Amino acid sequence: MSEQRLYPGMRPEDKTHFAPYSAFDIPADLRELHGRYDVEATARRVRNFRYAEEWMMMILGGWVATIPELPVKTGLGKIIYECSLTADALGKRLPELRCGRQAITASESANQGFADFIRAVSEPETPDLTIEKLSGVFDVLKPHLVDVYERTLRETDQICDAPTIELLDDAVRRTRRHITWGQEVLDRLCDTDALRERRRLRIETLRKQLGDCGGVTGTLEADRGSLN
Amino acid sequence: MKRFIEHNELARDSRFVRQDNAQATVLASLPDDVDTVVSVFEKFTPMIEASVRGTAAEPLFDEYGPGFALTVLNEPLDPDSPASLTRLLLRMHGIFAGELQALEGAARSLWDFPDAPWEFKMNMARQCWDEGRHVQIFEKLLTHLGGQPGMFPESTFLFECACSDDPAMRVAGVNRGLEGLACDVFRDMIRYAEKTDDETMRQAVDYVLADELTHVRFGSEWVREFTKDDPEHFERAQEFRREVDKRFSFGGARSDREDAAIPIAWEDRKEAGFTEDELSELVALSSGGPSKKTLIAAARILREQHKAKQDEKAEGANS
Repeated sequence: MSEQRLYPGMRPEDKTHFAPYSAFDIPADLRELHGRYDVEATARRVRNFRYAEEWMMMILGGWVATIPELPVKTGLGKIIYECSLTADALGKRLPELRCGRQAITASESANQGFADFIRAVSEPETPDLTIEKLSGVFDVLKPHLVDVYERTLRETDQICDAPTIELLDDAVRRTRRHITWGQEVLDRLCDTDALRERRRLRIETLRKQLGDCGGVTGTLEADRGSLN
Repeated sequence: MKRFIEHNELARDSRFVRQDNAQATVLASLPDDVDTVVSVFEKFTPMIEASVRGTAAEPLFDEYGPGFALTVLNEPLDPDSPASLTRLLLRMHGIFAGELQALEGAARSLWDFPDAPWEFKMNMARQCWDEGRHVQIFEKLLTHLGGQPGMFPESTFLFECACSDDPAMRVAGVNRGLEGLACDVFRDMIRYAEKTDDETMRQAVDYVLADELTHVRFGSEWVREFTKDDPEHFERAQEFRREVDKRFSFGGARSDREDAAIPIAWEDRKEAGFTEDELSELVALSSGGPSKKTLIAAARILREQHKAKQDEKAEGANS
C-alpha cells in the first residue's frame, strides 16, 4: 500500500478518521449533471409559464361574474388563487436565474401566436357560453401546461435546476386537480349530444391554434422531435 | 372579453329573482318623516310586489304590504319575535347574495385592471377564494336554517354601487365600505347565534368575520398605494367610500343609534384598520334617516292601506 499523501507541513494525525463518500452516495442518488436547458433557456421558459398562469388567473376572474352556474363560480375562486400562487412562485424564481431583482413580475409570451391563442381562450363572454369558457382552460390549456411542465421536469438539469423542478412539481399537482374538477364540471354540463359537440369543436379549434404556435414555449415541434 | 360590466350583466341561474335597485337607493336617502316614507313606498308598491312574487317574501308582502322591508331591515333580529325565522332567512339570503357579488367584484378586479401591481392581483385572487368559500358557507347556513338560494329577490345594489372603474375607488367602496359593513352584520349574526345556542352558525360566521378583517386591510393598503402622492385622488376615494357607507346604512338601520338594527362593530373595525376618526365619521353619516318610530308608524299605515285594498278587492270579487 502506497504511503498516504499529505500536504507539506501536515501530519497524519491532522486528518480526520471519517470514511470518504461522494455527495451522492447516501442514499444512492443516480441523478447526473447536465440538462436540456441552460440558465437562460430556463429563465425564458419560466417567463413563458408565468405568462400563461397570470393570464389564466385574469381570464377566470373575468368570467366569474358572467357564469350562471353557482358551483362553477365558487369553484373558480380557489383555482384563480392557485393560478396566482403558481405565477408568484415562477416570478420569484426569475431573479435566481439572473434576470434581475425587478423580474419577479415578468411574464412573456413565447410568440405572437401564443398571445393570440390566449386571446382566443378569453373570447367567450356571455352567460350561455360556460362550456366554451371552461373547455378552453380545462380541456386544452391546462392539460397542455401539465405536459410541458412535466417534460421540463424530466429534461432540465436535475441537480442544478432543482428549485425550478420543485415549483413545477407543485404546479403540476395543483393543475391536475384543476383539470379533474373542470372536466367533471364539463361532463356534467355537456349532457346532450349537441352540447358535447360544442365542447368537441371548441377543443379541436383551440388545440389546432395551440399546436400551430408551438405551445406555451413556442417549441412544441422541436420538443416532440427531441422525444423521438 | 370586455373590461367593466354593468350590475345587470351578473349571471344567475333560474332560481334567482332580480330586484330593482331603485328601491334600495331611495331607502338609503329617506327623511325622518312618516308621510314621505309612506308616499315613497306607495309609489314603489307595483315594483315591490313584482319582485316578491314567487319568492319566500310573498307571504310577508301579503301580510304587511309594501312596507314589510321597513320592519325587516329596521328591527334587531330577535329569536322570540313571531316572524323571526323568516326575517333571519331574509337577512341570511341578503348576506349570501352580498358574498356572491363580492366574489364577482374581486374577480372582475383581476380582469378590469390588468396593469395593476402584482401584489394587488395576488390579494384579489386570494379574496376570490375567500369569497367563493363565503358563498358556500352561507348556502350551507341557509340550508341549515331551512332556506335555499333564490328564495328571496336579489338586489345587485352592492355591485352597482361599489364596482367603480377606478381601482382606488373600487377597493375603497368594496373592501372598506362593504367589507366594513360585513363586519357590522356578522358581529350581529354572531350575537344572534349565541342567543339561540346555534354553535354551527356562530363558528362559521366567526371564521367569515376573520376573513373580512383581512379584506378590509387589503382595502386600506391599496387605497393608500393607488392614491400615493395624489391627495386629491385620495380624497375622491374617501368620498366614494363615504357615499357607499351612507347608502349601506339603510337609512340608519346600520348605525350607532340606540334603535339601530345592526350596530357598528367598533372593535372589529378597529382591528381591521379603521381609524377612530373614520369610525366617528361613519357614526355621523349613518345616523341620519328616519327613526325607528317613524318607520314603525309608516309601516303601520302601509299595512292598513294594504289590508283595505285587499278587502276592497275581495268585496268586488264577491259582488
